Amino acid sequence: MSNAPGTGEAVLFWILGPLAVLGSLGLIFAKKAVHAALGMALTMIILGIFYIAQDAHFLGVIQVFVYTGAVMMLFLFVLMLVGVDSSDGLLETLKGQRLATAVLVLGLGGLLTAALGSVTYPEPAGVKSINEETGNVSAMAELIFGRYVWVFEVTSALLITAALGAMVLAHRERLGKGRNQRDWSKRRVLRGEYVAGLPAPGVYARHNAVDTPALLPDGTPTPLSVSRVLTARDQVTTPERYVEAEDRIAGQIEEDSSR
Amino acid sequence: MHTLIQSLATEGAAATEGGHAAYAWLLIALPALGAAILLLGGKRTNKFGPALATGLSWASFAVGAVIFVTMLGLGAEERAAHAELWNWIPAGQFQLSAGLLVDQLSMSFVLLITFVGSLIHVYSLGYMEHDPDKRRFFAYLNLFVASMLVLVLADSYLLLFVGWEGVGLASYLLIGFWNHNPAYATAANKAFFVNRVGDLGLSIAIMMMFATFGKVDFASVNAGVDGASTTQLTAIGLLLLVGACGKSAQFPLQSWLGDAMAGPTPVSALIHAATMVTAGVYLVVRSHAIFEGAPNAQLAVAIVGAITLLYGAIVGCAKDDIKKALAASTMSQIGYMMLAAGLGPIGYAFAIFHLLTHGFFKAGMFLGAGSVMHGMNDQVDMRRFGRLSGAMKVTWVTFGLGWLAILGIPPFAGFWSKDKIIESAFAVGGTRGWILGLATLIGAGITAFYMSRLFFMTFHGKEKRWTDGQHPHESPATMTVPMIVLSIGSGLLGMILAFAGFAQWLHPVFGGEEHEEHTNWPLMAITLLVVAAGLLLAYWRYWREEVPKRAPEGNLLTQAARADLYQDAINEGLFMRPGIHLTRALVFTDTKGVDATAGGLAATIGGFSSRLRRLQNGYVRSYALTMLTGVVAVLGVLWVMN
Amino acid sequence: MSAAVPAVFEAVKVDYAAIAPMLVVVGGALIGVLVEAVAPRSTRYGAQLVLTLATIAAALVALFVWAVPHKAVTLGQSLAIDGPALFLQATLLVFGLLGVLAMSERFGGKSADAFTPMGASSPGSPQEAAATRAGFATSEVFPLALFSLFGMLIFVAANDLITMFVALEVLSLPLYILTGLARRRRLLSQEASLKYFLLGAFSSAFFLFGAALLYGFSGSSDLKLIARAITTNSSQMNGLLLPGAILVLIGLLFKVGAVPFHSWTPDAYQGAPTPITGFMAAATKAAAFGAILRIAYVGLEVSRWDWRVGVGLIAAATMIVGAVLSVTQTDVKRLLAYSSVAHAGFILVGLLSFDGNGIAGVMFYLVAYGLATLAAFAIVAMIRQGGSEATHLSQWAGLGRKHPVVAGIFGLLLLAFAGIPLTSGFTSKFAVFAPAIHSGGTMGVLLVVIGVLASAVTAYVYFRIIVLMYFTQAPEDDVVALTPSVATTIVVTVGVLATLLLGIVPGLLLQLAQDASTFLL
Repeated sequence: MSNAPGTGEAVLFWILGPLAVLGSLGLIFAKKAVHAALGMALTMIILGIFYIAQDAHFLGVIQVFVYTGAVMMLFLFVLMLVGVDSSDGLLETLKGQRLATAVLVLGLGGLLTAALGSVTYPEPAGVKSINEETGNVSAMAELIFGRYVWVFEVTSALLITAALGAMVLAHRERLGKGRNQRDWSKRRVLRGEYVAGLPAPGVYARHNAVDTPALLPDGTPTPLSVSRVLTARDQVTTPERYVEAEDRIAGQIEEDSSR
Repeated sequence: MHTLIQSLATEGAAATEGGHAAYAWLLIALPALGAAILLLGGKRTNKFGPALATGLSWASFAVGAVIFVTMLGLGAEERAAHAELWNWIPAGQFQLSAGLLVDQLSMSFVLLITFVGSLIHVYSLGYMEHDPDKRRFFAYLNLFVASMLVLVLADSYLLLFVGWEGVGLASYLLIGFWNHNPAYATAANKAFFVNRVGDLGLSIAIMMMFATFGKVDFASVNAGVDGASTTQLTAIGLLLLVGACGKSAQFPLQSWLGDAMAGPTPVSALIHAATMVTAGVYLVVRSHAIFEGAPNAQLAVAIVGAITLLYGAIVGCAKDDIKKALAASTMSQIGYMMLAAGLGPIGYAFAIFHLLTHGFFKAGMFLGAGSVMHGMNDQVDMRRFGRLSGAMKVTWVTFGLGWLAILGIPPFAGFWSKDKIIESAFAVGGTRGWILGLATLIGAGITAFYMSRLFFMTFHGKEKRWTDGQHPHESPATMTVPMIVLSIGSGLLGMILAFAGFAQWLHPVFGGEEHEEHTNWPLMAITLLVVAAGLLLAYWRYWREEVPKRAPEGNLLTQAARADLYQDAINEGLFMRPGIHLTRALVFTDTKGVDATAGGLAATIGGFSSRLRRLQNGYVRSYALTMLTGVVAVLGVLWVMN
Repeated sequence: MSAAVPAVFEAVKVDYAAIAPMLVVVGGALIGVLVEAVAPRSTRYGAQLVLTLATIAAALVALFVWAVPHKAVTLGQSLAIDGPALFLQATLLVFGLLGVLAMSERFGGKSADAFTPMGASSPGSPQEAAATRAGFATSEVFPLALFSLFGMLIFVAANDLITMFVALEVLSLPLYILTGLARRRRLLSQEASLKYFLLGAFSSAFFLFGAALLYGFSGSSDLKLIARAITTNSSQMNGLLLPGAILVLIGLLFKVGAVPFHSWTPDAYQGAPTPITGFMAAATKAAAFGAILRIAYVGLEVSRWDWRVGVGLIAAATMIVGAVLSVTQTDVKRLLAYSSVAHAGFILVGLLSFDGNGIAGVMFYLVAYGLATLAAFAIVAMIRQGGSEATHLSQWAGLGRKHPVVAGIFGLLLLAFAGIPLTSGFTSKFAVFAPAIHSGGTMGVLLVVIGVLASAVTAYVYFRIIVLMYFTQAPEDDVVALTPSVATTIVVTVGVLATLLLGIVPGLLLQLAQDASTFLL
C-alpha cells in the first residue's frame, strides 16, 4: 500500500500551497489590519483543506473551526474595538533595519532550504492504516487522553493563567459607588449648569447619529452633545455639510418665495 | 601519610601533619575575631574597640612567638608542619583542601606581620586618637592583618589568593579611610585598576596550574614541576610575575604606589612598607620550584627587579613629598628583593632577609614621617621642613637609625641584607651577573643619595624653612615607643639574623645544596665607597647649601624623575591613547561609564562596551533582528563546518 | 510510523508520588485563583501569602517524602522524575519560597510594595491613586507566581518536546504578566513586559520549528526516541537533525539570556518589579538550564559533535558580551542583568563538558547563583530615594557609610558574583570550569580561558561598585535603605549564609549534586 500522494492531491498542493504562502505573506505585509487577518484566514483554511486531502478529516475540520471560526473571530472583535481604520505607523526609523532583516530572512531561508533539501525522505507514513483500523478521531483521542494526557491537562494551567492575566491587566474595578441618574440630576441642579440635561446630538431631522454634534442657535456645533469617547477617537463628523445643505434649502425657499 | 612525606621529601622540606601547626589557625582567627567584633558590634564597641583590636593583634603575635619557639626546638627537617583546616571541595576530579603551612618561610612572615602590625596598632592609638571613626580604622587594620596572615600561611595558591584579595580589599578600605580629597578618587581608581591587572595574572596562573598539575597546593605543584614542560612553567611563572608586579608595585605596574600615599600614614607604614607590598616577593620565593623549572621566567623576575630598583631610586631623588619619596624608596628596595628572588637558590634567603630588615626600618621611617607630619600640621613638603632635629629628638634619632640601615652602613640592618644581595648578584657570574650586580651597586649609591637628601632636608640643613605659625613638637608616647622599638630593630635585626644563621634556617624550605657563604671583601669596600659618595653628595647639596623653598627647574633628568619618569605619560601613550582612539572610533553613544584614567585596557573594554550598547537601543524589532542574526550565524557556522 | 493503536483504550500509568510536588503547586495555584474570586478584598493579601507559602512548603515536603524515593519516568514518557529533575525541582521550590517572601515585602505599607495596586489603571491616573489610597493589592501575583513555578517544575522534568514546550509557555506567561505590574515607573514596566512577551513568542517559534524538524527526523517527540533515532537513522536525514537541534536549543537559550538572544534581559530585568526580577534571574535560569541539560544530555548527546561548536560559540559570546557590557552600565538592575548574562555563559561552559561532574557543576552553580541573586535583588529593592527605588549607580555612592550592613552584604554578594574564593561564586565557577578543563577538550579549555578573562572584567565592575559604595563621598541627598520586614530579612540572610557556606564548605551540596547527576531514560 503506497502512501505516495496521488495526482489529484499533487495538483491541489501546487495550486493551494502558493496561495497559503501568499496568505501568510499578506499577514506580515498588509498595511491594514483587516487585510492581514483575512490573509491569515486564507492560510488557515488552506491548511485545513490540506489536512482533509490527506485523509485527516477531523483535523482539517477542527483547523477550520478553531482558526477561522474562533481565533479569527477574536481577532476581528479586537479589530472592531481598536477601530477598523487604525493602522500603525509604518515608517522605519532604524537605519538598515529592513535591509538587514531581508538579508537575514533570506539567509535563514537559504540555510534551512539547503539543509532540508539535502534530506532524502523515507516513505511517508500517512494516516491510511489508522483510518482503516480505528479511525483517526479515536486515535487522536487515545493520544490526547493517553500518552499526552499530562500535556493536555497542563494546558489548562496556561488557559487559567491567561484568564487571570487578562483580569489583572484589563479589568478595572470601580472604586467607590458610581452615580445614578438621580445623583446626576441632583448635581446638575445644585451646580446650576445644564439643568435641562446636555444637548442631544444630531442636526434637526436631517441627521441624528451620535457622532454628529448638535448646533447651537448661532449655528456653531457644540462638543457637549457627543460622547467624549468618539471625540477622543477622532470619529466625530462635522455638521457643516448639513448646515450648508440647510442653507441651500433655505436659500432655495427664499428664492422661490421671492419669485 | 608515609607516601606523602616521601613524595615531599624529594623537594627538601617535609611537612609533618599537625604538630606545632595545629594552633596556627589561631594566628588568623584572633585578628579576624577582632575585625568581626568591631564591625558587627557597631558603636557599642567604640570605647574598647581600638584597645581590643590592638590586644588581639598582640595575642596573635604571642601565638606566633610560641609556635616559633616550638619550631626552634625541633630539628631542621621537622620544622615544616602542615595543618589541614577542612576539606574545601571534596568531590570531583579536582580535590581541594584548605590548610595552613607553617614552615620557616611562613613563620618569618608571621612574626614580621604580627610584630610590626601590632606596633602599628599601638602607634595608631596615638595617631588616630582624635578621629571620630577610629573604631572602623582598627577593624580594618585587624582585617588586614588577618588577610595577610592567610596569604602567608596558606598551603595552596588558592587560599593564598583568598588572602591576596583580602589584603587588597582591606588596603582599599584603609587607603580610602580619608577620602575627603576629591583628587584622591583618581588615585584610588588607579591603584584599583593596576591591582586588578596583577590579580588577573595570578588567577590565570592558578588556572593554568590546575590545567597542568591538577592541583594547586604548594606540595603538589612543587612535586609536579618535573613532569611539566618548560613552556608551561614559563607561562605560569610569567603570570605569577604579573601578579607579583601588581601587588609589589614593580615595573611596569608600579604607578599606583605613589598615589596610594594619600592614606593615613600608619597604613603606609604597614601596607606600603612592611607587609602587603612584599607579598609579590613572597609569591615568587614560594613558587621557587616553578621558576627554577623556567629559567626565562626567573630571568624576567631579576630584570623586573633591576629596572624597578633603579627606577624607584631615580624617582626618589626628585620627590619633595616625604611620603612619596619613601614610597619610591620602597619600590626600589622591593626591586632589590625581586632581583634577589630572581637570582635563583643563592638569592632566595637574602630576598627574605632583606624583606625582614626592610620591613623594620622602612616601617620605622614611615612612622617617623607620620610623626613629623603630626608635628607640622600635616605638611608633607620637605622643602618646608629643615632642622627638625632639635624639635623632635626621638623622631630624629629613630629616623636616623632607619636611614643608616637603608644606606647599608655597618653594623646596621641594611648592611647585612642589601650587601648580600649585591654580592649574590655579582656571584651569578657572566654578563648577567655583571649587569645585575652593577644595577644593584649603582642603586645602592643613588639610594644613599636620596635617602640622605630626605634625611638632611627634613632634620638638618642651613635653616628652618617652616611655614609661618608652625610649632613642631614631639609626638605622644604611643607613637614614639613603636618608633623606638622599630629603630632598635633597624639597628640590630640584621646583625642578629646574620649571626643566627638566617639563611641556613630558611634553607630547608628551598632544598637543594647549601651555599658556602664567603664574604667578598673588596666588593663590600666598593659598595661602602659608592654609598659614602652618595651620602657626601647629599650632604654637600642639602645640608651645607641652602635648599630653595620652591623646587628649582632642574635639569632634564630631575624633571623626568619628578614626573615619575613620565610613567603616566608612558602609560597614557602606550595604553590609554590607543584605547581612547579606538574608543572614539567605535563609540557612538556616551563613554561616561568609562573612567578614562583607569587605563587603556579599561578604555578599550569600555569602548567596546559602548559600541555593543548601541545594539541595545530599546526597539523590540531590533532585538528580534539580533536574535535572528544569532540564529543565522550559528546555523551558518555549523553548516559550513559539517 | 504507524504506531499500532490498541483496540481498547489504555490509560497511562501515573506515578502520583513522583509528581506529587507538581500537583501540590498547581493545586495551590488553583485555590489561589478561587481565593481571588471569593475572598473579601481586605483578607486577600494575607490569605494568598499564607496559602502560597504553605503550598510551596508542602510541595517541598512532598518532594522529599514521596518523590525522592519514587524516581520514575511516568505519564507515558512525558515526565522523567530523576536525579537532576528532583535536585532542580527542590532548588526551584526553595527559590520560589524565597521569591514569594521577597514579593510580599510591604515596607510598612498596606499592600506588597513592589506591585501596582491596579494593573489595569493607566499609569499616573486618578484611578491608580484611588486604588493606592484604598490599599488595593494585586494579590493575583501569588497564584501567578505559583503557576510559573508549576511550569518550571515540569520544565526541568519534561521528557518530550511537546511537554517541554507547554511547560515553557506555562512558566513564561505568568512571568510576562508579572513583569508588567511594577508599582513605580509603570510605563517602563509595561514596556518591559511587552518586549519580553514579543521576544518570548519569537523564541518559542524557533523552539517549535526545531521541535518539528526533530519530529520529522525521528518520528517522535520523545527525547529517548530522538536519541535512538540519531544512532539508528541513516545519515540522509541529518539535514533535519542539525537545524532541529540548534533551533530547539536556541529557543531554550533565549530563556537563560544567552547572547545574542539576551536583548530582552536588561530591559525586562530593569522594568520588572524588583522581587520578580530576582525570581526570574534565579528560577527561570535554573529551570531553563534544567531543560537544556536534559535536551543536551538525553536527547541530543549522541550528535553533540555536530552542534557543540555552535553552542560553544554562543557560550563564548555570552561571557564576553555579558562581561563587557556590564562595564558601561549605570543602573544597578541592568548591571545585574548583564551579570546574569555573563553567568549564563559560565554555566554553559560547564554544560558543554559532557561529563557527570559537568551536570553536578551546573546544578551547583544554579543553586549558588540563584540564592545570591535573590538576596541581591532583595537589597536593590530596599535602597530608596524619595520613595522610588534608587537604581542609578550614582545614588549608591557612599552607601557604605550610611548603611554599612546593607552595603557590606551587597558587597559580599558582589564578591560572590566576581568569584572570589571562600564565596559560593568561586566554588561554583570552579565546579563548572574544572569539568570543562578535564573533559571538555580543546574547546573546553578555550572556553575556560575566555571565562576567566570575562570574570576578571566582571570582577572589575563589581569591585568598582564596592569602591563606589565605600570610597566615594555620598552626595548630599536622601538615599536610604528601608528597614526590611522579616520576609526580606529571611531572603537576604539565606542568600548571605548560602554564599558563605557554599564558599567555605561546599562539599555537602556538591556531593548531593553529583549523586543526583544521572538522568533516567
